[in-house]
Order: sequence, then structure tokens, then C-alpha cells
Amino acid sequence: MDTSLSWEEICDAFPILKNKDQSDCTADKFNILHGKILNSGSEWEVIELVMDRIELELRQNVAPRFWGKFTSRSTEMEGFEKFKEAVSTLYGTLSLFLPTLERLETLRNSPNNPEYICGEKRLLDTFKVITRATLHSQLPIDYQIITEDFYKVAFTVFCNTDKSDLNESAEDAIQCSGCNLETDQCQCKNIIQIFHETNRMLIELGLLERLAGDVLTRLIHKRIENHVQETCKGSFDTSYTNTLEEWLETVVMGWLTNIYGGGSSSENSVSLNSDETQNFLRKFKQKLEHLLYETYTRTRIEQLFNIIIEYPDSEPAVEDLRLCLEKTDLRGHLMGKLQRALETRLLHPGVNTPDILTAYIAAIRALRQLDPSGVLLDTVTHPIRQYLRCREDTVRCVVTSLRDEGPNDLAEELQRGQDSPAEDGTTNWEKWMPDPVDADPSKLSKARRTSDVISMLVSVYGSKDLFVNEYRTLLADRLLAQFTFNTDKEIRYLELLKLRFGDSQLHYCEVMLKDIHDSKRMNAHLHSDPAFELSNKQFVATAIILSAQFWPVFKDETLELPEIVKEHLNVYTKAFETLKGNRTLSWKPHLGAVNLDITIKDRTVNLTVTPIHATIICHFETKPEWTIDELSQVMHVPPTVLRRRIAFWQSQGLIWEASTDKFILVEDSVSGKWKSDVRSEMVCEEEETESAMASAHDQREEELQVFWSYIVGMLTNLDSMPLERIHQMLKMFASQGPSTVECSLQELRHFLERKVKEQKLIFSGGLYRLPKP
Amino acid sequence: MAQNINPSVSSHINSPTESKTSEGTQHISQDNHAVTKRLQKELMVLMMSGEKGVSAFPEGENLFKWVATVTGPDSTVYEGLTYKLALEFGSGYPYSAPVVKFKTPCFHPNVDTCGNICLDILKEKWSALYDIRTILLSIQSLLGEPNNESPLNIQAADLWPNQVKFKKYLLEHYNSHSKN
Repeated sequence: MDTSLSWEEICDAFPILKNKDQSDCTADKFNILHGKILNSGSEWEVIELVMDRIELELRQNVAPRFWGKFTSRSTEMEGFEKFKEAVSTLYGTLSLFLPTLERLETLRNSPNNPEYICGEKRLLDTFKVITRATLHSQLPIDYQIITEDFYKVAFTVFCNTDKSDLNESAEDAIQCSGCNLETDQCQCKNIIQIFHETNRMLIELGLLERLAGDVLTRLIHKRIENHVQETCKGSFDTSYTNTLEEWLETVVMGWLTNIYGGGSSSENSVSLNSDETQNFLRKFKQKLEHLLYETYTRTRIEQLFNIIIEYPDSEPAVEDLRLCLEKTDLRGHLMGKLQRALETRLLHPGVNTPDILTAYIAAIRALRQLDPSGVLLDTVTHPIRQYLRCREDTVRCVVTSLRDEGPNDLAEELQRGQDSPAEDGTTNWEKWMPDPVDADPSKLSKARRTSDVISMLVSVYGSKDLFVNEYRTLLADRLLAQFTFNTDKEIRYLELLKLRFGDSQLHYCEVMLKDIHDSKRMNAHLHSDPAFELSNKQFVATAIILSAQFWPVFKDETLELPEIVKEHLNVYTKAFETLKGNRTLSWKPHLGAVNLDITIKDRTVNLTVTPIHATIICHFETKPEWTIDELSQVMHVPPTVLRRRIAFWQSQGLIWEASTDKFILVEDSVSGKWKSDVRSEMVCEEEETESAMASAHDQREEELQVFWSYIVGMLTNLDSMPLERIHQMLKMFASQGPSTVECSLQELRHFLERKVKEQKLIFSGGLYRLPKP
Repeated sequence: MAQNINPSVSSHINSPTESKTSEGTQHISQDNHAVTKRLQKELMVLMMSGEKGVSAFPEGENLFKWVATVTGPDSTVYEGLTYKLALEFGSGYPYSAPVVKFKTPCFHPNVDTCGNICLDILKEKWSALYDIRTILLSIQSLLGEPNNESPLNIQAADLWPNQVKFKKYLLEHYNSHSKN
């Protein structure tokens, strides 16, 4: 047998060897040739030869032609078309190789050939591997643009058809929202068909995953992100986890099934039924689910500050977040984000303390739901607590909102009392969960879990004393502001507070309330007994008798009352002394209220004012013209204060500043056109609700002064000491007084630094000492 | 000197109990507590009084050892000088006097070179009515008015009548020691 004859025959059978398309070789002829080749034992050479040739063809023609389609495009639709064309051309070209491959396959079926070529058993598969390799070896940089176009267009159409099932109104639109063409020219069906067709081809070529896999994933990721953001934009009062999961299941997975199923999800589609595809889809779904949760969680975390502010309306959102946090690993992210949000939106001077408190309370409630162990709460709100500590009015705000029905329902919280934790570790041990890893091990987990809103607020300062003191001040103000002697409501609150803070802490307040109650009785008694000559006076005086020991320190203000009042009060004092034996009264003339009937020429005014106001107008009764200095001398009140008080009468139109610092009484209300002008111009300081008590800040100063004498004492004798030792010494020796005052190391440091600035102390080498005299 | 008798101790002496040791320790701990309280109170009074010229403070954790500072009284040779003293209280305080010594070497007729002080109220004339403040004030006035009848430092006692010489020596003595 002649080899050259064989070569011609081989070339006939495999026209590719001669760059011909059409084979002249019939099946019979090939059968003969088949036998010949097998006999000569050169089938392997033939296979290799042909495969080489095919590979060359792929490399030189097919791949460049395929990628040539992936050139720039102007619209997405164009990209879609190009991709489709590229794929179908490729499919067509590759199909031409099939007869050749079939013939080779028959050659391969002899026993002495290696089992695998390029890792594949069948030549067709080998061919696919070679195709993929060749294509990828020539991958252009921007091939993904076209691919993305293709899938994006298809996905939009797909989503649209899916939606229009639910929503028929879309039909009315002039433009089809799927393909952005006018409705009567809608391409949707066409597009879908092309899409399925192309996918089927790609699957058959084994190219779908390789070529479009990451584009697809990216597209879906983007889609999920958009969808999540659109869905839960700005509304926190519904739970979205189920909706989103459903969406993923129906829309996204439906689409994926469509793609990998090669279009029609009909049952006879081979690839859909194969286990491999099923498996692949399942895995893909798991990945997507995780992504969905992560995206959703991130979105919610982004909004967490607003969610917290709207709590409890935003409860579903918080619940969602709680579930999602379990599935994702975003706790740290959440903490960081929320803390930053709090810092930028809450913790700056532009926010009012009550607002910060409201936010803090909302945060406590929301974060408690989010993380029952309290660790999150503890960590995230740490900066808030620290910030609140440096606001001067924090305590006052807390105490006020404890009393008043404010926006943050603290009063309600107080009435509810301390929660007894239902989920006690001992009763429900089967549900016990360890603390999260980021928990601070030095703190008791139980304390973290059980502390409620009020104790959290109180713990801002670390001690109850401050709050109790502030409450005392507030109570004092309130009791003194009203002369009705009605203490029922106060007693109720006090009882509630006692449950929380303990009897001993609120003992002072109790005495204060009792004082009011006793005063009422005392007044009734003194006025009813004619022997005391109190009822036949020009006016009636009632007194609130306070036990000075138990009331907070009053602001020191002087006021000389008019003679007539003083006389009256003396009578009252005498009466009291007779009744109470060896006790007497010391009046606080600047406190209280005066009910006045002012009768001037053409009218009568009835007003309730403070004693200082009353005294001013009283002086004008005897002499209609005063300079501010004269008045100041008579009343023992500084001119600045006096001027402020006179402003009140000016706004009432009773006193007129004739010239600088000179005031005259206005008798005639109609005369003088200036009056109305003045009144409108006058910035009347309406009854500023100024506290009569020395502020907590002032009191603290006083306490620190005590510490200062100790510090001077110890530094005089022990020369120089470090901060810690001073603190320790103070704790040991200075806190033994009647009122156990605490002073934190931090506070002490600030205090000492201040003293250093005032040059009363020298700080060097970590040691404090007194300056040499 | 009935006031110098610790009531708890005296009752203890009078009670003929067998388990003396255990009761004894109990008494001591009770006494300690009482003494601690008393010293605490004295400290507070002293700190609040703002007394010029004398000052005292516990040395460390132990409330029974104090450091005191006394400045020399005005218009005496000791004017402007500051002396540190060590006070040590026994568990019998205030029924027994504390041990008081100068820590800063003090050239004075009634103070020896070890810092021991010869002062009647710290010895036989002690009374439970005295407290740290009065002790320190007495020592302060002792500086200006020494008792030359019973000197501990003969040299100082001899030099005392000549105030100019005394002051010169005193300052040299003080400066040389404060430098150390």
C-alpha cells in the first residue's frame, strides 16, 4: 500500500488538511480508509495531525473573527446584537468541524490509543477545551462591555415581563419599559427568543460559564444592590427579609434557571435536568443569598442612625437587622458605622441635650432589641455617655424628663419600674447563649443584660447622688413656685423614685414634702387663732416653712422688703415662736410670690409677681420718681439685677424710663403716645424660670473646695505626690465626712490642672507640689 | 487625771475573765476602730480649720503615723523656718500621748539631736483633751519660748540668752541641714 495514496485519501477524508471546506469523501470511502489507517497503525498520527490543523484554524480564523465582533458599540441594543451575532457565527463555524470530529472519533476507538486528550475522553470535549483555550488566549480587554450589554438588555426585558404579570397598567405606557422601544414595536419577545437561543448555543459550546460567568455575577450583584436599596429606601416600618428572599427566588433565580436551562425551562431541556447544573444553581443561589443579606445589612447599617431615631416605629427594620447580623459578619462594621454616625450627627455642640438624650434612649431600646446581651449597646453608646458627661445640663434634662411626660416617655418608664428580667439564665438554661466575642470580660454579663433605660441614664455619671441631688433641686424649685401646697402628685413620684434609688437617698426630698405639708397646717393654725393678730392685717401672708438642713442651698440674693411687709413678717415670726417654743424663722425675702392689686388713676391691675418686683412697685407708691441707684440702695439689690426687674414693669406700661437710669411711674395709661412704642420695643423678659437653687455645678465646686484643703494639707506635709496617690489619699481620708462625696481620678486631674493654671500648684516630673511661699 | 483613763481598758482590767487573750485582742481592735475614728475626725477638723503655721497629714495608708509641718512663730528667731515632725499614735490615744519627734534637725534648748522634744504636755501633763492641733500649736510656741530649766541641748540653752548669736548659729544649722 502506498503512503502517498493514503495521504491523498486522508486529505480527502479530512479536507481541513488542505484548507478545504467540503469533503468529497463519502461514508463508504471513509470506511475503507478507516480500515487502512487502522491497519497501518498510524491512526494516532492522523488524529494529532487533524487536531493540530483544527487548532490552527481556530487560532488564526475563528477566534479573531469572534472577538472582532466585540468592538465598540454606541447603544446597549447594538451591543446586544453584536454579541448575538458573534455567538451565532461562532456556533455556525464550529458546527462545520463536527463531521471531521465524528470521523476522528471513529479512529480513536481503537484499543491502543491513549485514553485522554487534553484531559477529555471524547474528542468533542477535547475540541471544546481547545476552543475555550483559544478564545481565552485572545481575549480582548473590553470584551465584557458587549457581554454585559447583552445580559443587561435581556435582564431588563426579563424583569419587565415578570413584572407585567403582576401589573397590567404598564401596558398603557407608550414605551415598553423592557426594551425602551415604543409599545407597538416592542422587541421584548424577540429579544427573549434571541437571548435563549444564544444561551443555548453557549451552553452547547460549554462557553456560557467561561464567557459570561463573571459578567453575570456582577450584573446580578449590581441588580441586587439596586433592588435592595430601592426597596428599603427610607421606610423602616416593614420587614423586608421575606420579600427580598422571595424576589431572589422568583426573579433572579428564575432568570438564572432560564439562562442555564438554555431558554425554555421546558422539561426536555437536557442541561437543566443534569445534576451538575442543578448543583451549580444551588451553590450559586447560596452565594447570592449571602450577598443579598450582606447588601441588605449594609443598607440598613447605613440607615441605622435614622432607624434608631424612629424607634419603636422602626422595629421591623431592627428585627430584620438582628436576623441578618446572625447570617453575616458585619457586627464590627455596624459598630464602627453607627459610632461614626452618632459622632457626626449627635455629639456636637449644635445639638440640644434633650435631643441627645432622646436619641440615647432610642438607641438603648433599639440596640437592646438588636443585641439582647447588651454588648453592642455598651460599646456603641460609650461615646454618647462620655459626651453627656461633659454637658452641664444633662442631669437636669434627665431629671426633668423623668418627671414630665416628654417625648421620650421616661416618666412612663419610671412608672413601669425596674424590669425583672424574664430571661434569667437560671430559669431558661437551655436557651443560654454565651456573650459575644467582643464583650468586655471585666463586666458582668448579667448587669449588661438587665440594666434598663433609666439605670443606663443614671449610669452616665456612675453615681446616683448627682441625680438625686438634681431631683432635689428641681423639686425644691417646683415646690416653691406653687403656693397651693398640693403635694399629692409629688409624693407619688417620690415613691416611684424611691423604688429605684432607695429610701435613704431620697430622705431629704421626703422631708421637703413634709415641710410643705406642715407649712399648710401651720398657716391654717396661725390664721385661725385670733390671738396671733394675723388675720386683721392689711394683707394676708402665708409662709412656707422649710427645714434648712434638708433643702438644697439657695442662691444668695439680698432684698430689703418694704417696712410694711417686714412688720407683718415679724408678727408672723412672733406667732410662730409662740407656737413652736424655742424655734424661730429666718426669712428668705427673695423667694415666694406676691399677689398685687395695683390701682392707678384709671385702672386696676391684678398681678402675681416675685417679691423683688413687688418691692419695686411698692417703692413707687410712696415716691413716683426714682433713680436706679437710689432704688438699689433702698432695696439692697445690685443695679443690674434691678434694671432687669424694672423691665417687667416697663413692659406692663407702669414705669417709664424718663432719662437714663431715672424711672417714673406712669399713672395715665392713655396719655403719652410713647407708651405703645416702648411697649413694642421692649424686650420683656417674661418671668425667666430661673432656679432659686444653687446649681449642681456650684455645689460641686464647693465639694471640690473641701478636697482642696485636704490636698493642701497633704502636700504641705508630704511635699510632692503623684496624681494617683493624691486620689488614693483623698479616698481614704477625705471621703469620711457626713456626705460621702466621690471624686473620680479624671475629675481630680482636671481640678488639679486648673489649680496648676491658677499657680496654686506646681506640676513637674509627674508629681504635684505646692509652690514655695 | 481621770480623763486619761481609757474606759474600755479600765473595765477590762477590772473584769476577772479567764479568756483574757481573745478578749484582749477584741478590745484592741475595738480601740483601734475608735482611735481611727477620732483621728479621722481630727484630720477633718484640721483640714477645715485652715490653721496657718501648723499642718499635719497621715503619712501613708497608716492613719497612726502622721507628718506635721510647723513654721516658726513670727517675731522670734525661728521666723520663716519650717520644721517637719513625725507623730506616732498608740492604740491608747487619746488616753496616752502620741510620740512626737522633729524630723528636720532643730537647734533648740528643748530638742535633742535625735529630734526628741522635752515638752510637759507630751509627757506627764498629757490630757485626753489635747489633740493634734493643740500639740502642734504648743510646739510652735515652744520654739519661741523655750524652757531653759530643763534643757536637752545644753549648747542651745547656753546660747539662748544671746539672741543675735543664737539666730546666726540657728540659721547656719538650719541651712546646712536643709541642704542635705
